[in-house]
Amino acid sequence: MDRRSFFERLTAWSAGFCLAKPIFDARSILAAEANSRPARKPVLSVAKNTDYEALVGKVLRPLGGMKAFVKSGDRVVVKPNIGWDRTPEQAANTHPLVVKAVVRECLAAGAKQVLVFDRSVNDERRCYSRSGIQEAVASLGDKRAKCIFQDRKKFLPVEIKGGKSLKQFEFYAEALPPHCDCYINLPVAKHHSLSKLTLGLKNTMGVIGGNRGEIHHDIHQRIAELNLVIRPKLIIIDATRILLRHGPGGGNLDDVKVLDTLIASADPVAADAYATTLFDMKPEELGSTKVAAALGLGEMDLAKVEIVTA
Amino acid sequence: MRRLLWIPWPWWRRATQLALLLLFLWLFRRTEYSGSDQLAGGENLFFRLDPLAALAAMLGTRQWIFAFWPALAVVILTTLLGRFFCGWVCPLGTLLDGFHRLFRPLSRRTNVLCQNMPAASERRLRLIPHVLLLVVLTAALFALPLVGFVDPFAILTRGLVFWGDPLFFRTTDAALSWWGNEAVRSFVREKLLPYRAAVFQFASVSAAILLALFALELVGRRFWCRYLCPLGAMLAWCGRRPLLLRRMPKKVCATCGLCASDCRFGAFSAGGDFLPGNCNLCFACVDFCPNGIVSYGFRGARGSSRAVPVDMSRRVAIGALAAGAALPGMLAAKRFVRPKKVDPFLLRPPGAADEKTFLNLCIRCGECMKVCPTGVLQPAGLASGIEGIFSPRLMPRLIFEQTYCEYACTLCGQVCPTGAIPLLDEQAKHAHPIGKAYFDHALCLPWAKQTPCIRCEEMCPVPEKAIKIVRTFTVKGVDGTELEIQQPVVERELCVGCGICESNCPLEGPAGIRVYRLDAPPQETEFLLDEISKGGGKPPSTTGQGD
Repeated sequence: MDRRSFFERLTAWSAGFCLAKPIFDARSILAAEANSRPARKPVLSVAKNTDYEALVGKVLRPLGGMKAFVKSGDRVVVKPNIGWDRTPEQAANTHPLVVKAVVRECLAAGAKQVLVFDRSVNDERRCYSRSGIQEAVASLGDKRAKCIFQDRKKFLPVEIKGGKSLKQFEFYAEALPPHCDCYINLPVAKHHSLSKLTLGLKNTMGVIGGNRGEIHHDIHQRIAELNLVIRPKLIIIDATRILLRHGPGGGNLDDVKVLDTLIASADPVAADAYATTLFDMKPEELGSTKVAAALGLGEMDLAKVEIVTA
Repeated sequence: MRRLLWIPWPWWRRATQLALLLLFLWLFRRTEYSGSDQLAGGENLFFRLDPLAALAAMLGTRQWIFAFWPALAVVILTTLLGRFFCGWVCPLGTLLDGFHRLFRPLSRRTNVLCQNMPAASERRLRLIPHVLLLVVLTAALFALPLVGFVDPFAILTRGLVFWGDPLFFRTTDAALSWWGNEAVRSFVREKLLPYRAAVFQFASVSAAILLALFALELVGRRFWCRYLCPLGAMLAWCGRRPLLLRRMPKKVCATCGLCASDCRFGAFSAGGDFLPGNCNLCFACVDFCPNGIVSYGFRGARGSSRAVPVDMSRRVAIGALAAGAALPGMLAAKRFVRPKKVDPFLLRPPGAADEKTFLNLCIRCGECMKVCPTGVLQPAGLASGIEGIFSPRLMPRLIFEQTYCEYACTLCGQVCPTGAIPLLDEQAKHAHPIGKAYFDHALCLPWAKQTPCIRCEEMCPVPEKAIKIVRTFTVKGVDGTELEIQQPVVERELCVGCGICESNCPLEGPAGIRVYRLDAPPQETEFLLDEISKGGGKPPSTTGQGD
């Protein structure tokens, strides 16, 4: 082989390598790395107190406080459940005092803006008003914190990478990264006739657009897949009072059990798995938790979770 | 007295008109859910001032409606002062005056019809409002509600609710999206705009009727008020011998006639006689009289005008009464030819009385549709005959996920001026179901296609759930996974007929669950809950494929 043919071959081969479709997508490997279970056990904090505003600070302490999640200048989305035209004691929505305390913690951590919203099932004005959440956020008297109604024009189609049942769905733009630096999921724990329970993973349905009825056809799989897009930095499950029957709307005080408990974690699957036990159920009884764990969204085996009682 | 506090009377009138128009628009804006289950009250004030609507509703149902006491005050004041209402109060009159002012150059060319009208035709046209009034009231007595088609407030408010307000929202919202800073935007959106652009069927019909009244203003000054408005006729009749009299010494002004030719209401006969019933007390003639001799006062001076009665012949009056009496019979007779079938989906607002009483009480003002937070209340078409046009009905399937009756909301009863929709608290509302829901087993996903769904059960606002899961089983889906199918039924005693299940049913097209009128349940009913619990009903086939 002379020098000339060597260079010719070298050029041809390297051109071929450069132009060929890569078999390995380094991005997916890196993403899988990020999704794979962290070496350290996920931490889950549980706290109990009848003063719900103080309870928020208490449950966050083992996780390093709100400062561990909200950086100074962050635009934060707090996503409670404001789905139903029900009063706080009926346990269909997140408790307004919990929302208020979480928003206050975010502001104290230096958030530039805190948006509170949900896609309500009933008329959103009625839900925001009767749930007490609108007033609770307004009572903070801070211009950075706003309880807003979703703008129907702000839903964007998002590709769901790794989705099996859903390939694409509409999501609310304000809840997605360019507009949101820190997403805090703040669901209420309650019964649901189709998905058995509605906890953190299902609460993501409040930031999707389109026909939400479609989710119901393959509900466990689809709920888990929505969570491939929305990645909260912090999940606080409101179990101050839980709805045992006739969920998700409730309405009957006989179906409500007061627990005065909050659950907080950065792991969405662990948080749901733990909250399931409050209903005397096993984590694996919930389809969405199982699918989410299989998708690598978190740890559902509570033995592998560091549970701290604050 | 030509002036009050050195300000000419027409200025006082204009200021009053403008203030009352703003009050009307302000009340209109407040006819909306704003965070409280109880409205501030007074949203329907202008309808309660309306003696025509009051009398028609009372004649139609033969009952005293106390809410209409302000209308009685209007009647008494009109008897004392004359037809001040048309010139000072009526928001439609004010809008027509404003419209005239805007289009004055145009109307100079277009109002030829009115200017050149022979006196005899003019007199005949003048009778139309009186004939309409007699027809409407007689028909009301014989249970045919027509007042909503001719009442000026009803026409104006319907036009605004169905067309004006949504148009205002859409144009302003579009303008704001490219102009204005955050402060302007939030002010306009929160204070001036409705919460959302409501969607109504027959919006164009209501708009056309309202715009036609404005178009007539180009033909002649206050054409609607002079030649059509039956409320005006009623007030003219009340105010035909007022205590407030127009004084004009005839000797001085024999040759002028400016007051007669420039009168917006045409309150002068061809011979120059003043007709108090046609005077709207605008006081323009007091102001522009070149000799300054026209005045109004309570004591008749020399040369004061004499009351001239409405020159309606006995023949016309009897004809109008006969027409009003015969019309209801004619519409009823039509049913012998083609029996009237009740539309099972014609759902009336919560607490509404039987169809006949409801239609006779309803004055088609559109207030309930304006205030409804979800927009489920829609104007009816011909679903209950010609007499039911524009009456409110619930259409849960109109907009997916949005149009249904809110469980805890009682706003429609709070704004209804006649009590056609009664004032109910939340408990009482649930005791008066709107209808009852029934599943269509040929459509409902878990029944027809063995696909998991039960969105209706999730939505059901009844605390005990009026939709129950009657059977749960698993099938194998196409990909081999097990799917849990839950089949729902309605427990009819609990159902309040709100329609949220129908609105949220994820099927395209007709829903798998529909709300039927209480008096028109479906022929082929689904399995009843008690039948299932006794072991009735067919077993589920397990051959179906899941989604």
